[in-house]
Amino acid sequence: METPDYDNEFDAIVVGAGLAGSAAALAMANQDLDVLVLERGQSPGTKNVFGGVLYTPTVRELVDIDDAPLERYVAEKRYGVLTETDETAVTMRPGEWLEEPHNDSYTVLRGSFDEWFAEQAVDAGATLLTETTVTGLVREPGGGAAEGRVVGVETDRPDGTIRAPVVVVAEGANSLVSEGAGLRDHHDREDVAVAAKEVLKFDRETIEQRFRLNGDQGVAYNYFGEGAVGDAVGGGFIYTNKRTVSVGVAYSIEDAVASDQNPEETLNDFKQHPAVAPLVRGGRTVEYSAHAIPEGGIDAVPDLVSDGALLAGDAAGLVLNNGVHLEGTNMAVESGYQAGRAVAAAVDGDDGSVDDRALATYPEELADSFVVQNLQHYDFFQELAVEDREFLFSELPRALADAETEYFAVDRDPKEAHAEAAKDRLLDAAGGYVGAAKRAWKYRKLLS
Amino acid sequence: MTVDADWTIVVPVKQVPDADDVTIDPETGTLNRSDAPAVLNAPDYNAVEAALSLRERAGGEVVAVTMGPPFARAVLETAVALGADDAVLLTDRAFGGSDTWPTSLALARAADELDADVVVCGEESTDSSTGQVPPGIAAHNGWAQLTYAEELEPRPDDDELVAVRDVEGGHERVAAETPVVVAFEYGENEPRAAGLHRKIYAETEFEPEEWSAEDLGISEQVGLVNSPTKVGGMDTADPVEREQAVVDDVDALSDRITEVTADD
Ligand SMILES: Cc1cc2nc3c(=O)[nH]c(=O)nc-3n(C[C@H](O)[C@H](O)[C@H](O)COP(=O)(O)OP(=O)(O)OC[C@H]3O[C@@H](n4cnc5c(N)ncnc54)[C@H](O)[C@@H]3O)c2cc1C
Ligand SMILES: Cc1cc2nc3c(=O)[nH]c(=O)nc-3n(C[C@H](O)[C@H](O)[C@H](O)COP(=O)(O)OP(=O)(O)OC[C@H]3O[C@@H](n4cnc5c(N)ncnc54)[C@H](O)[C@@H]3O)c2cc1C
Repeated sequence: METPDYDNEFDAIVVGAGLAGSAAALAMANQDLDVLVLERGQSPGTKNVFGGVLYTPTVRELVDIDDAPLERYVAEKRYGVLTETDETAVTMRPGEWLEEPHNDSYTVLRGSFDEWFAEQAVDAGATLLTETTVTGLVREPGGGAAEGRVVGVETDRPDGTIRAPVVVVAEGANSLVSEGAGLRDHHDREDVAVAAKEVLKFDRETIEQRFRLNGDQGVAYNYFGEGAVGDAVGGGFIYTNKRTVSVGVAYSIEDAVASDQNPEETLNDFKQHPAVAPLVRGGRTVEYSAHAIPEGGIDAVPDLVSDGALLAGDAAGLVLNNGVHLEGTNMAVESGYQAGRAVAAAVDGDDGSVDDRALATYPEELADSFVVQNLQHYDFFQELAVEDREFLFSELPRALADAETEYFAVDRDPKEAHAEAAKDRLLDAAGGYVGAAKRAWKYRKLLS
Repeated sequence: MTVDADWTIVVPVKQVPDADDVTIDPETGTLNRSDAPAVLNAPDYNAVEAALSLRERAGGEVVAVTMGPPFARAVLETAVALGADDAVLLTDRAFGGSDTWPTSLALARAADELDADVVVCGEESTDSSTGQVPPGIAAHNGWAQLTYAEELEPRPDDDELVAVRDVEGGHERVAAETPVVVAFEYGENEPRAAGLHRKIYAETEFEPEEWSAEDLGISEQVGLVNSPTKVGGMDTADPVEREQAVVDDVDALSDRITEVTADD
């Protein structure tokens, strides 16, 4: 039996067929590169845990999403602040979201979406190998790098080493390969959130009635405050799929470690909150999962290119997670796409040589894109949230609830007195007019 | 060991619907095969492993054969990824509706065509599980058969294969003259993982040979009309209601298990 040797038969290897990996593979295959994608799951997406709203601007650039397995488009968003007993929420249903492309926001089940997205890469010419776990990167002395250049990967299969001029590591948040190869440090505890999520099964009608939805419309609800995740920094979420509802919590791992509650208990408390329980009641749990979300912001992003290897998506910490936004999908796809384009420009398909200057355009392009811009813009918030946690997650929600109760109180006192008391309650929480002005200044960028 | 003694080892492998994804049509009681992706019949992993291990000891080559629709080639790729040297797809509209009689006839003719010394089958399929195909192949060709084999010991120089067979109350060692058909017992060896480069080869470059009913000279003997089995009727059994309980921790779980098993 003569087995062909595929060392350097492929122009590039991609580790992980998640959003970042398949986007990278698509970008390279579209430029006629021979790409090998290695995925540890039985099929792409089987190992993926996700809320989730998929943001599709870059996906649409790469593929036709008309026949993509999307669940619902986001027709309504809600931001709710919860104390243990109260909810104060803002709900949005802009008419424009009802029109295509629906603000590029769709709920998806990653099991089916990732499989479909990877198939698009295969149709474009990429080779996908599943049930294959990358266990390390192969380095070889030279190439100007102290530890040597990355020239391939090792897998868990027999005869499991394979070489290629460039490796794109898109392994997600649990980045064992890139850490093991010294491409990034271990994620600091304070830079990671833990998420617990359940998928609950309903019939379509129940979902559509409960959330006031027509046809393919869906909702994305985000909650914060002590009623969502106790005294931790983080929040809860509810997203509607066609026949299921995803409900979950995500909060700082540091808080999770300090707390005597495990994430599952926190999720159960959230599901029992009086404002949340009626939305999730009666569903049958069809999936339970827990996962990490990087939230270190721009400072925690490692070098994106080193020694012939590129990092993309969660593996590079490219997630915006600050309470108002939880966006990783668009960043994963955009970074994979930019990484793939840089590789396509850098690798000479004939002799396998790599132009390092062309590889270096990847971080440059990304710095100019919304990915890095957004991370930079919101960078201040994560720190403030920790600094001001008492105010943000506990005092403010309580003050809001008290003020509303006061403002709308129905009794025999004049309304003006109630309005005055409500204002006082809010001002009191914010530290008077001066305090309120200072806070407004501090948080101004959140809405700008 | 002489080169002449090298064996041709044929492994019939079947594509079955992935049991994780299979559904039963509540109206007709039949399997919705089309919903589920086709995968290699689990017991056939043991057959492939047994064949590869025979090749390592006796020399020769392993050829996988499947009878099925064109997409059944996926299981041939799996066999080649695991280490089979080559593979043949028996595919033809004429095969449609075949029961175990024509299926084993086609496989028997293919084994003969390939000059098989040993044919290693799985114990049974996970979707029809008759276990009739391996004996059927032996019967059609008038070859010896070793069913419920747990271990194989090749003796190519004597044109013999020895098997340890699982029989009621114990084991027996039986030697058979080649050519011989084996039905290897499910789970009796540990199937290897496919090598990385071999898997890439199988999934990207390998092309199985395709043979039709006519190539095998059996066009008039296969298909629904030549299938003696008549299905009288089918019923679905309602699943038994299971008691469910949620426990708080591992200790509570262990207590419950002890409780329940003590009742028996
Ligand atoms: C609970 C939760 C809710 C979220 N909600 C949202 C949301 O609503 N909107 C949003 O935009 N983002 C959300 N995110 C973030 C988003 O899911 C991620 O940012 C995004 O999935 C990152 O994509 P990726 O391709 O980088 O990584 P992943 O999607 O994690 O893909 C990595 C892939 O690599 C594979 N892999 C890993 N290691 C190996 C290895 N060694 N060898 C081979 N393969 C390997 C994995 O199996 C996987 O297929 C959420 C995250 C979580 C956990
Ligand atoms: C669409 C469809 C229609 C069918 N219609 C009928 C019908 O009308 N009447 C009827 O009786 N049966 C019917 N069958 C069942 C089918 O004929 C049997 O599945 C087949 O004959 C094999 O029998 P088995 O699965 O019980 O194999 P078993 O004897 O249980 O399998 C033992 C071993 O034999 C080998 N083997 C079995 N089948 C194959 C194969 N196709 N290719 C290569 N190796 C194989 C494998 O090594 C396997 O492990 C139908 C099946 C399909 C998919």
